[in-house]
Amino acid sequence: MGEDDRRTYENVLNHICLELRKILKKIPTEAKANIEEIRLRSGKPINVYLKGKDYFVAQDGILTEKAERSVLVNEKHISDTFQLISNYSVYAFQEEIKNGFITLRGGHRVGIGGKVLYGSKGIETIRNISSLNIRIAKEKIGVSNKVIRYILEYPNTIYNTLIISPPQCGKTTILRDLIRNLSDGLPYFKNKGFKVGVIDERSELAGMYNGVPQHNMGLRTDILDGCNKQDGTMMFLRAMSPEIIAMDEIGSTSDVESIHEILKAGVKVIATVHGDTLEDLFSKKSLSLLIKDRIFKRYIFLNNSKGVGTIGDIIEGDSFTSIKK
Amino acid sequence: MGFVKFLGSLLIFSSTTWIGFYYGRKYSNRLRNLIHIEQCIKILETEIVYGATPLPEALTNIYNKGNKKVSFIFQDIRDHLMNSGRGDVFHSFSSVIEPLRDKLNFTEEDIEIFLSLGRVLGSSDRHDQEKNLKLILNQIKFLQDDAKIERDKHEKMFKNLGILTGLAIIIILI
Repeated sequence: MGEDDRRTYENVLNHICLELRKILKKIPTEAKANIEEIRLRSGKPINVYLKGKDYFVAQDGILTEKAERSVLVNEKHISDTFQLISNYSVYAFQEEIKNGFITLRGGHRVGIGGKVLYGSKGIETIRNISSLNIRIAKEKIGVSNKVIRYILEYPNTIYNTLIISPPQCGKTTILRDLIRNLSDGLPYFKNKGFKVGVIDERSELAGMYNGVPQHNMGLRTDILDGCNKQDGTMMFLRAMSPEIIAMDEIGSTSDVESIHEILKAGVKVIATVHGDTLEDLFSKKSLSLLIKDRIFKRYIFLNNSKGVGTIGDIIEGDSFTSIKK
Repeated sequence: MGFVKFLGSLLIFSSTTWIGFYYGRKYSNRLRNLIHIEQCIKILETEIVYGATPLPEALTNIYNKGNKKVSFIFQDIRDHLMNSGRGDVFHSFSSVIEPLRDKLNFTEEDIEIFLSLGRVLGSSDRHDQEKNLKLILNQIKFLQDDAKIERDKHEKMFKNLGILTGLAIIIILI
């Protein structure tokens, strides 16, 4: 596991300019496996996040909390790194840049900060890039194994499920692993696997690179990358005959409409949403409708009390009582 | 004796003629290569503006589609780019200055304009790339005109000079 994570880190470094790469290669081996984010800001020290804390990186690769010991990132570093990230082809990533991030091979995402230029059709491009945030994607195979038995209804169907968690608590990771499990099938439950349609609006779930998902999404999964939920729902229902549709980060009124469409077609839904408690969700108008209509039968709450992805509670959707054992 | 004289004269004549043609040919080579490079950049324009092909792949495509006598330059740039991993396109363009000068007979001015391609390539959106490529293509057109004038002026001169020098040496020696 640690070995894999370390290799992932070294692969990500290939997208960073030579000078900074040399420094970042020198950081302690045990830290390499745990790095979650590498942040480069023009004129500021190199900043890395691991285990929820941030550190600066000194010339000799030592992680420090003292900013003055760190190496400063300059404009040339940023522009060279950006060239490597975009594979020397900024023009090929126009659409991605408009959305504020680029996905790398391996499903890692690079967020972009800079001067945003508007054209007649909304954001045109980002110029004078001043900061880059490289988020290292870590696939956690098997994180959903504990919850899967709460979701399965008889061997061959599932409950409509909503995963609720604050940011950075592993909601996307657990959804991704649920998709993989449901799609591959669960021999232990005598389940042969479902046809899963994934609407990956923010390209976070599958991490598509050149049309290939960079994470294991299972054997029976179809993916619409970068597609909005409403269009994606219609496209899936029309011709892909999914048994489950999965989507990340629901919230808007049109998302709720899409979910109604999906239910009308007799297809099951798994979705995630930002939030802490059930009351939290009631305060969001469009979502409270879904909850009152008892559409979701299972609510999975995540937190990070015992590390990222801790399962806080699992609530049954008709009686709103906990069924977590 | 007469035979040896004849052989010697022939040797002198053919070598001076060859030197003349060699220097003369540089001018027509430059013109031909400028035309080929224009075609290559047009292929590049299509790849970028209509295909949005990533640069390394686009460079390989130029090598395959263009005239190999010139398009090898683009493959060299691609290889340098991928091997160096520096994120600096201009640096990789600079690495081919020598073959541009020696194999393609480009002048300093030609090289300068070709390198300017490396400064802009891949660093902006499609619209901007198109404008920059158009500008460079325009400049290459001017260079071609210049190369044509140079060729007309010098190629014949060097060829004639070669032949005449040969004859002059033979006459003096005989």
